[in-house]
Amino acid sequence: MKWLSDDKLNYLRTIVGNPDFSSTKYAFIKELARGGMGTVYLAEDRELNRLVAIKVLNTPEITEDLRNRMVREAQIIARLEHPGIVPVHDVGVLADGRVFYAMKFVRGSRLDEYATQNASVRDRLRKFQAVCDAVAFAHAHGVIHRDLKPQNIMIGSFGEVLVLDWGVAKILRNPVSSEADTLLLPVAETKNEKARLVVDTSHGTIIGTRDYMSPEQARGETNQLDERADVYSLGAVLYFLLTNRPPSEARPRSINPKVSKPAEAICLKAMSREIGSRYFGASELSTDIGRLLDAEPVSAYRESAIEKVSRWVSKNRFLVLLVLAYLLMRIFFVFTSRP
Amino acid sequence: MSKPLIGVVLGAILGAIDGLTAWFTPAARDQLGGIVIGSTLKGIIAGVAIGFFAKRFHSLPIGILFGLLVGALLAYLTALMQGGYYFEIILPGTMVGLIVGFATQKYGKTPATANS
Amino acid sequence: MDPDTDIGGPLHKFPVTDHSAIVGARSDDQLIRRRAFDTILASYWKPAYKYIRLKWQADNEDAKDLTQGFFANAFEKNHFARYDAARASFQTFLRTCLDGFVANERKAGRRLKRGGDMDHYQLDFVTAEHELAAHAATADLNPEEYFHREWVRWMFTIAVEAFRQRCDESGRTIHFQLFERYDLGDDANVSYASLSKEFGLEPATVTNYLAAARRDFRGIVLDKLREITATDDEFRAEARSLLGADVK
Repeated sequence: MKWLSDDKLNYLRTIVGNPDFSSTKYAFIKELARGGMGTVYLAEDRELNRLVAIKVLNTPEITEDLRNRMVREAQIIARLEHPGIVPVHDVGVLADGRVFYAMKFVRGSRLDEYATQNASVRDRLRKFQAVCDAVAFAHAHGVIHRDLKPQNIMIGSFGEVLVLDWGVAKILRNPVSSEADTLLLPVAETKNEKARLVVDTSHGTIIGTRDYMSPEQARGETNQLDERADVYSLGAVLYFLLTNRPPSEARPRSINPKVSKPAEAICLKAMSREIGSRYFGASELSTDIGRLLDAEPVSAYRESAIEKVSRWVSKNRFLVLLVLAYLLMRIFFVFTSRP
Repeated sequence: MSKPLIGVVLGAILGAIDGLTAWFTPAARDQLGGIVIGSTLKGIIAGVAIGFFAKRFHSLPIGILFGLLVGALLAYLTALMQGGYYFEIILPGTMVGLIVGFATQKYGKTPATANS
Repeated sequence: MDPDTDIGGPLHKFPVTDHSAIVGARSDDQLIRRRAFDTILASYWKPAYKYIRLKWQADNEDAKDLTQGFFANAFEKNHFARYDAARASFQTFLRTCLDGFVANERKAGRRLKRGGDMDHYQLDFVTAEHELAAHAATADLNPEEYFHREWVRWMFTIAVEAFRQRCDESGRTIHFQLFERYDLGDDANVSYASLSKEFGLEPATVTNYLAAARRDFRGIVLDKLREITATDDEFRAEARSLLGADVK
């Protein structure tokens, strides 16, 4: 038997580990990232001549449950048509039996990488608001993400924001609009009859990433979760953007004194351990961030009179300077024209 | 608040301030009331003109320029009536016009435009 | 597509327990136990031999005796039946048992009797020794990592042989030849186009045959792995280890 060198061994392990796209219209290019449930590969759609990201189940031996979860993830994302949610193009089964779904390939950097590029506070807040808008859209369609964190948010090369990895998303209820009702495909029309959307009813199963997980999620209270679990996670993401650190017990201003009081208040309200004290949903959080960006008063923070004036002056700096210049000039003329 | 109203309010305030500075000239103190009223009226006239201009034309540079010209013109007429102190009257008056021109372009509700 | 049969595709598998030699080692049936032992021996004798040579600094004769003695003893005393998948992987369990056996033998100062129950197994220690001489272990590898690396290497080696046999038996020799030339060979000039000319095949055929070959090879590797893992979780964990991280 021929000796297999280390290089040859690595090569064989790679080709055996790589997905077999031969029965699909995709051509394998390279591995992009490895996650808990699946590995993401870069591939080329040979029909449409474009790059796609393909997520394939990690495990070589698929159980019915894992396969259903993969297809379910794809179906959840596919029904969420929003510029901030990565679009799913295709779902299927590879020749080697593994489930895959193809989605838009996003060129760019993750939010945590983006933050290290010294993005300004305004830039970070704008990106964060875009994330909130995407999540709010999902909430409006009865879906909560449950694993929001900087690593699951991509900033594209044109500054577009995309929320990724809906692998542990939960469907709370039927979508809001009647149009969306038709997206729940009847059994006969699904690609895979056994992969209909199933509400996750696992009890006590902790799903998500600890640092960014709401307290109720960390306790495994899966059935009690609603949109406010995502609000907590968004608050934790905001914490990271304000401080460049994962969430902790410390207030954001104690880590970064440059954080404004209203920004800190928004963050802390979103991350309130009391569910009832948080924002109702991502859209309310997005609205407050918008007010913060427009130098308007935010709902999370009660300003003092001095802070109100200071904010108004800061917002209308040019006008205030003009008036001051006029008054100074007036005073100058008063004193110089005295006999 | 509409743009003409912003122009009126700001013009009146700045005009009143303008008039009140006459207090520092002892010789003019007796006529302070009339000076303040006149100055305020001047500011209001300027504010109305500039405010309506801003309602019609939405351009910050042009709005500022228009305000500047209106302010300068009214101030010139005032200086003519005074018979002197041209520099001390025209420069602040021009500045008032500039401020009102800027404020009416930047703030205030614009009327809704019909879809083309 | 029939969801009840086609969901898993052509490689839809039975549970690990149906094929596992580890599970077979616990059987009351002597024949099943023997077959299970054969499978475990085939998968582990070479990495065990090299491990003993490296970690225990045994010379080739001693290492040969210890390797054979270990497996003979394990079969006689049915040690593999004691394996508990919840505590560690089978690989770790076997290596630990091996260490214990060698330590005891050294302490007792015994010289193992050669042959006996292991005589009929033709384990190619000569080749193993040549490999050791020709490809020394790198200094940054600890003995446990070395054992794992050699186990991975041996698993792929026997999988290649099994694939060759399967192709010969099923009349798909050309599949193996293409696989051997392109994926096993060291010629950097080999390409799909050159193979197409060499074998007189259309380029698309070369692509399809190679894809099929890799798919089948992958299936064989996973089959081999399934034989020496006890549970689905262990199988998945070992598969990730086997197919995932780089060999050091």
